[in-house]
Amino acid sequence: MKSIALGQYYPAASVVHRIDPRAKVILATLYIVCTFLCKNILSFAALVVSAVILILLTRIPLRTVFQSIKPLIVILLFTVIINIFWTTGDTLLLEWRFIRIYLEGIMQAVFMIVRILTLIVGTSMFLTYTTTPIALTDALEQLLGPLKKIRVPVHEFAMMMTIALRFIPTLVDETEKIMSAQKSRGTDFSSGSLIKRAKALIPILVPLFVSAFRRAEELATAMECRCYHGGEGRTRMRILKYRPSDFVAIGVMILLGAGLIVLNRLGIGYTM
Amino acid sequence: MSQPFIQVKNLCYSYQDDDGREVPVLRDLTLDIHRGEYVVILGHNGSGKSTFAKLLNMILEANSGQILIDGKDITSPDMTDDDVFALRRKIGMVFQNPDNQLVATIVEEDIAFGPENLGLPSEEIRRRVDDALEAVGMTAYAGHEPHRLSGGQKQRIAIAGIIAMQPECMIFDESTAMLDPSGRRDVIKTIETLNRERDITVIAITHYMNEAARADRVIIINDGKVAMDGTPNEIFSQGERLAQYGLDVPQGTALIHRLRERGISLDGDCTTPEQCADTICAALAGKGEK
Amino acid sequence: MDQIKISLEHVSYTYSKGTPFEIKALDDVSLNIRTGTVTGIIGHTGSGKSTMVQLFNGLTRPMEGRILLDGVDIWEKPKEIGKIRFRVGLVMQYPEYQLFEETVEADIAYGPRNMGLDEDEIRSRVAEAARFVGLSPEMLTKSPFDLSGGQKRRAALAGIIAMRPEVLVLDEPAAGLDPMGRDAILNGICEYQKESGATVLIVSHSMEDMARYCDDIIVMDHAKVRMHGPRDEIFARSDELIDAGLDIPEITKLIWLLRSRGIDVDRSIYTVDRAEQELAHLFGI
Repeated sequence: MKSIALGQYYPAASVVHRIDPRAKVILATLYIVCTFLCKNILSFAALVVSAVILILLTRIPLRTVFQSIKPLIVILLFTVIINIFWTTGDTLLLEWRFIRIYLEGIMQAVFMIVRILTLIVGTSMFLTYTTTPIALTDALEQLLGPLKKIRVPVHEFAMMMTIALRFIPTLVDETEKIMSAQKSRGTDFSSGSLIKRAKALIPILVPLFVSAFRRAEELATAMECRCYHGGEGRTRMRILKYRPSDFVAIGVMILLGAGLIVLNRLGIGYTM
Repeated sequence: MSQPFIQVKNLCYSYQDDDGREVPVLRDLTLDIHRGEYVVILGHNGSGKSTFAKLLNMILEANSGQILIDGKDITSPDMTDDDVFALRRKIGMVFQNPDNQLVATIVEEDIAFGPENLGLPSEEIRRRVDDALEAVGMTAYAGHEPHRLSGGQKQRIAIAGIIAMQPECMIFDESTAMLDPSGRRDVIKTIETLNRERDITVIAITHYMNEAARADRVIIINDGKVAMDGTPNEIFSQGERLAQYGLDVPQGTALIHRLRERGISLDGDCTTPEQCADTICAALAGKGEK
Repeated sequence: MDQIKISLEHVSYTYSKGTPFEIKALDDVSLNIRTGTVTGIIGHTGSGKSTMVQLFNGLTRPMEGRILLDGVDIWEKPKEIGKIRFRVGLVMQYPEYQLFEETVEADIAYGPRNMGLDEDEIRSRVAEAARFVGLSPEMLTKSPFDLSGGQKRRAALAGIIAMRPEVLVLDEPAAGLDPMGRDAILNGICEYQKESGATVLIVSHSMEDMARYCDDIIVMDHAKVRMHGPRDEIFARSDELIDAGLDIPEITKLIWLLRSRGIDVDRSIYTVDRAEQELAHLFGI
């Protein structure tokens, strides 16, 4: 059915949702920088607090946030294992045969996990959860606008993004239909050797490509009929306007960065 | 009568197949369409009706012959890019597959696509988008994602996308062929409203006879030429010829024909079921008087 | 008594169960299809008929209830559901989009080949299927992508017929075709039905086609079977059809208009032939 979600946009009326999408791209970038600024327990603690505040501000239920983190558990576990077993330091906590676990290793693992989690929360709270894909495309087109001067086809890339976003659900539906049709003719996708399974894909891929090209051609004609002629002379219905609150948000983010640097200097406990 | 809005003179079009042979599609097609008319073009697949539509807004170019739109010759070699855009703004086109004409992931953004290409100021685009949404009765869906809409709703969004460019004429190239009955009804109602209330000239290509029954004028294209041209009643009264062109007549019309063949005198129109009922009732009443 | 070919027993199916997007597509549906009949399935979009179509050949598995083919539950051995798909042929909507081989012939042979038949048998089945749908031998050597829309549709139908299914299920086989293309495809289906004695189920929005080709009609409405019976019976209840948001054949519309004006005509008329007889009689001929 048509239940696949585009991105993970979560509609709500929060302050974060209302921030200009360009400002959100900048904020997300700054937040990534912040996660890398942290060096000690104080600054990491501050980072965690900032992430929690951010989640609360977006009004996205915690369950939804956790669900997006779930697929990352394997990566997180891997990070923990690597850091715990491979970091050496001064305070040996446990020694058993060749395994040596140091306090530094545990700290390192905790810091890395906090960094990864806040990185993900930061970008998803500013970008995927609170900004529609189309607003994000618009924002990127405008932020990268200056690159047009050096002949980077910014508008064309943005247009491709938009069309891709528009057609992903259509093509997913189509793939399902073609698979059902070929299953009805006896295609077996689930058994046999690897080569046999790869061969079973041909009856799916050929019709899918044929259909995608036909759609592309029809869409191109329809766009021409609607007077599309590239980005030249094209205006937009929705004009992005920075509001004072957007600058306030960016200001707060810079302050957070500055605060983290200060906290790093306090030099309490283990430093990364 | 004033100068026709669209004048087509001796239009010919052919393409080359894979073996390099010329395949003629349109041969010597001539017709006029007046401003405000609601014309339905019928013809079986391969009759050249869709090719004709694509020639009207220069998606294809004719081999020979002339098309005058509002007195301007669009087949002339002097046509500039700006002339082509002006033409496409004037003559909008809606296609068969609603999925393949929507560009954006949000309904109102999609409708804005045309006006944005025209370089209009933002407030004007906003006004036109709202107006177009209202014209097709989809205001409530402004913020929806097109892929979650039904076929009929998507097609109305595609129509709104054209309305927002404020065309004088709209061509519907089998725009109802892929829709279910309720979607088809909604789209036809929308087309009729646009013709009546906004005075948009409508050229609807279809092979559904009951859609033709509601038009001002029906043109049958067969073998790349105009085979028949007249009011729905004039056209449908010639059932045998329609069958010869690979077309049906509405069932009511077929019934009246068969009864006439049996020697029953039935006078009157016989296109819609209502007209047929009138005609039969009148004949039965007449019989009673005798 | 008539034999039952396929039946649904208390079948339910729900999409996205347990989420806010939950949609009940079929709600405790039970029905029997008689062997060798042509049954039309009608209903507005979203009434559950497309889901039903995919249940017959095991593309989707019912969440509750059973589907019996010749009295045997098709999901008895889930691993052998593939065999059911050869016995119950499904022609999906716009089936021309499934064509993929280099020649029409190879494409029609795809199903039979998956059945593991030998080459001679495959060849004879392809020829037979092509004959049913009216594709000439020259067309068989062409690429399927060079055919016209109507021809592609017929090639796709032949691809299912070549498996010689005992039950043929078709989802809107004539959608989007012109009158000639529509007649060609529906006649092909009828030819196959007559010669093979197969049981046929057709989903369609066209009441005129239903009136012409089907013995029985099932009317779906809100995930349930609203009516099921011989077509005479169903079309005699045209007021209920309209009530279920469906069209009625144009000729039936005309007959009901005449009745509303006090002319006494049989209300179960759904073909031009019957209407002609009835009215000729009224005019005293």
